[in-house]
Amino acid sequence: MKVVTGVVGNDIHVVANRLIDLSLQARGYEVFNLGVNTYLEEFFDAAVETGAEVLLISSLNGEAEGWGREVKSLKREYKDLDDLIMVIGGNLTVGTGNAEEIVPKYKNYGFDIVCHQIDLNTGLDMLEEFIQQRDAGGQSK
Amino acid sequence: MNMSKGKLLIDVGSTYFKVCTQDHLEQHFRNFNKSIHDDLTQKCGAIIDKFDKQDIHICSSANGGLSTLIIGVTHTFSLKYATNIAFNSGINIIDTVLYQDIEEASIPSDLIDVVIVVGGINSRGDVFAEPLFNYLKGIDYSNIVYVGNELDAESIKANIPNIAVLPNIIDDRLHIVEEELKTYLTNLYQQDIMGKQDIKDLYDITGNQIYSTPYIVNRTLPLVDAKFSVVNPFILLDIGGATTDIHYSKDLVEDNIVTENEFDRLVFKKLGVYKSRESLIFAAKSNEFVGELLMHLNVTENIFADHSDKATHILMQLAIFLVLCKMSNYHQAYINLKLLAINSIVLTGGITKVLSQEEVEDIIAFFYTKILTSEHRPVTIMDTDYAIWTLGSAS
Ligand code: B12
Repeated sequence: MKVVTGVVGNDIHVVANRLIDLSLQARGYEVFNLGVNTYLEEFFDAAVETGAEVLLISSLNGEAEGWGREVKSLKREYKDLDDLIMVIGGNLTVGTGNAEEIVPKYKNYGFDIVCHQIDLNTGLDMLEEFIQQRDAGGQSK
Repeated sequence: MNMSKGKLLIDVGSTYFKVCTQDHLEQHFRNFNKSIHDDLTQKCGAIIDKFDKQDIHICSSANGGLSTLIIGVTHTFSLKYATNIAFNSGINIIDTVLYQDIEEASIPSDLIDVVIVVGGINSRGDVFAEPLFNYLKGIDYSNIVYVGNELDAESIKANIPNIAVLPNIIDDRLHIVEEELKTYLTNLYQQDIMGKQDIKDLYDITGNQIYSTPYIVNRTLPLVDAKFSVVNPFILLDIGGATTDIHYSKDLVEDNIVTENEFDRLVFKKLGVYKSRESLIFAAKSNEFVGELLMHLNVTENIFADHSDKATHILMQLAIFLVLCKMSNYHQAYINLKLLAINSIVLTGGITKVLSQEEVEDIIAFFYTKILTSEHRPVTIMDTDYAIWTLGSAS
């Protein structure tokens, strides 16, 4: 399965990005890593060019808040991305915040899986579970 | 015949001829009532006769270049990569269609010299289908080339007559692969130049391949620091009679193109001081800072109606200002240069024969102060003896 990943906006925290790349590969995904400083349009465009099924965005410096709001309207401009699984993780707010507020907010922005300050392996387990459930749902239809 | 040593270099622009020997340089305003060949031999016949055909090198930007239509699947990868390669191959006129919108896209009415179809990494198939084939049936083109994913190549070949298929310009890591498309386009440009009777005639004078001027300049850029005391990163502005070319160090753009090229090229096709004078004036009148700039130069808008030397000076200064403005505007431009990081601005072309160093520096200072509210002042370098073009033609 193909995954596009990277760090959104002007965020240069690179360590998590490298770990994500390696962990995804170890789990058998084909990874397209756009690295740090990646704009939303590049993420979606990379999904189109690669035919990726998953978009996994990380954000560490608190910028995601601003970008998140633009996700829905930008994604709507693409005709073939309806089935793209959208994941976001890292530090999803500026300063401290609690997950009960943050998670619904990002789901509303259009993300399927939201991992605010959740450890990477837990987050990737959530992704696998999501894919399994979705496939099971698809088969029963 | 008394043969001279060294080489004779001739550049045929839209407005001027430049003729250059080892120790001598002259330039002549073109006579548009004559063919290039007759005009050139009449004005420079004596010097041309002194050289062996094999020692004469000609480059030209006078053929207007190729018109190109690029059909790609995203703005930041396929369309951008193909546009970048096309600019670097010396092409000036580029239109793009985003494949997902192709059914609603308007059909260009003019003949297109080359259509480029691109999209998807090699493991991504099923990108192109009927909508592409239908669209292409409606347009008039001379050449078509496919540089997209491998999986679609078969059906593309089966459905589009005479399409050339080259390796994908997007590799499996989403990086750009330039060489083959660049060679293909450069060759087409070459054929186009040679197809024009005006240029064909010039083979009477030279025994060497005639190249496009932007191709020569792009080839020279890595050598520029050897010739001038240029501080990297730099941009090179070639403000000509019909178009303005900008060549810039890759360090000055923040973008996703990972390439071996140190320099890229960008063209403003309607910005020039002779053939494109009207559109330059139009652009000036629509720029909100130009009023202030004219005041700063102690003239009024009446200067636009004037054809004096003074007016040419002002237009050239405006051209510098407008080019810098265009590159500082993120949303409209195809690239956004980090203007505050520029250490040198190199000017070449006819403009260096007209403006003084001070006049250029004055405009650059005005731009940085007014538009970027910055004290930053890149060093200005004037290529008054066309050393840049000479380096490329002779190498
Ligand atoms: C190192 C560091 C830097 C270095 C970065 C060097 C580099 N090139 O990577 C430097 C000094 C440059 C830096 C700069 C800044 N930083 Co800093 N930085 C850190 C620091 C100390 C460690 C980050 C790190 O590498 N951790 C190790 C990795 C492995 O952990 P991680 O990044 O947290 O990622 C884990 C998880 O978050 C998760 N994860 C990440 N993404 C995703 C995605 C998914 C889907 C999932 C499931 C999981 C997941 O997986 C990783 C492994 O478990 C953190 C504080 C901290 N202790 O976390 C601050 C921190 C991230 N930085 C912060 C800030 C504010 C900045 C600056 C704005 C500071 C400034 N004022 O200049 C700048 C921003 C620069 C920019 N443009 O982005 C804040 C962010 C606060 C916020 N979000 O509200 C932090 C949290 C510090 C703080 N407590 O204030 N920083």
